[in-house]
Amino acid sequence: MKRIKAFISQEAWSPYVAGILLGIVGLLTVLLANALLGASGAFESLAGLIGKKLSPSLFSNLYWGVEGGRAMPIMRPEITWSVILLVGTILGGTLGALTSKTFKFRDNDDPQWKKIFGPQPWKRWLLGFIGAIILEYGAGIAGGCTSGLAISGGMTLAPAAFIFIAGFMISGIITIKLIYGRRF
Amino acid sequence: MTSYVIALILGIGFGFSLNKAGLTKYRNIANQFRFTDMTILKFMMTAIAVAMIGIYVFRGLGWITFPTVPATYVAGNLIGGLVFGVGMALAGY
Repeated sequence: MKRIKAFISQEAWSPYVAGILLGIVGLLTVLLANALLGASGAFESLAGLIGKKLSPSLFSNLYWGVEGGRAMPIMRPEITWSVILLVGTILGGTLGALTSKTFKFRDNDDPQWKKIFGPQPWKRWLLGFIGAIILEYGAGIAGGCTSGLAISGGMTLAPAAFIFIAGFMISGIITIKLIYGRRF
Repeated sequence: MTSYVIALILGIGFGFSLNKAGLTKYRNIANQFRFTDMTILKFMMTAIAVAMIGIYVFRGLGWITFPTVPATYVAGNLIGGLVFGVGMALAGY
C-alpha cells in the first residue's frame, strides 16, 4: 500500500507505464462507450455552440450544420460526449498534479522556454494562444489531434493516424529548428 | 446520463495519464522535436500498442464492434498534420 502511494505521488512516471495506462483507458472507451478518446473535437463543438449563439448566420455552414438543413454537421454544436470527456480530462490532469503536489498556477515557469524566448509571461501566453489556433485548425483539417487521431486512430490501425504522425513530426522539427536556430 | 458519467471517468483517466507522462510540460514537447527527449513518442507508441492488441483481441472475442474509425484522406491528413506540428511546436502543449 505504501509503495502504491509512493508511486502515485511521483511527479513523472516512466512514459511506458503512463502509456500502458492510456492504452487501457483507450481500450475501455471502446468497450464501455463504443467511442474513441479525443480532445480537439470537443473544442470544435464548443466553438460551434458559442458561435451559433453569437452569430447564427456566420456559423451556419457545412461544418457545424445548417438550421433545418438535411446534411449532418461534421461537428455537432452541442454538449457532446466528447465535451464531457474533455471536462474529465481537465479534472484528471488536475488530479495528477494534486497527487504529486505540483499543482499551482503557472504563467511561465519552464526554464527552457525562458532561455529561448525570455522570461516575460505575456510572450508565453501569446505564443501559446497563436500556437493553439494553428494546432486546432490543423486538427480540424486532419480529422483529429494527437489523441483523437494519432492514438485512437493508431490503435484501430487507421492509415490516417500514421500519415498524421509523420506530418506533425516533420513540421514540428522544422518549426523548432527555425526557433532554436543554432541551439537546436 | 450513464454515458456522461462514463465519459467523465474515462476523461479523468486520460488526463491523469497525460499529466503523469509529463505531456503538460513545454520542454518535453519541444525536446521531442529536437530528439533529445523521447518521452512523447515512447508514451504515444506504448499507448497505441497496448490498445491495438486489446482492441483486436476484444473484436476477435466478439466483445466489441469497431467504433467509427478516423477517415483516411491522404492529402487532408498530411496537410492537417503539417499545420498541427507548427502549432504544437509553437505552443508547446
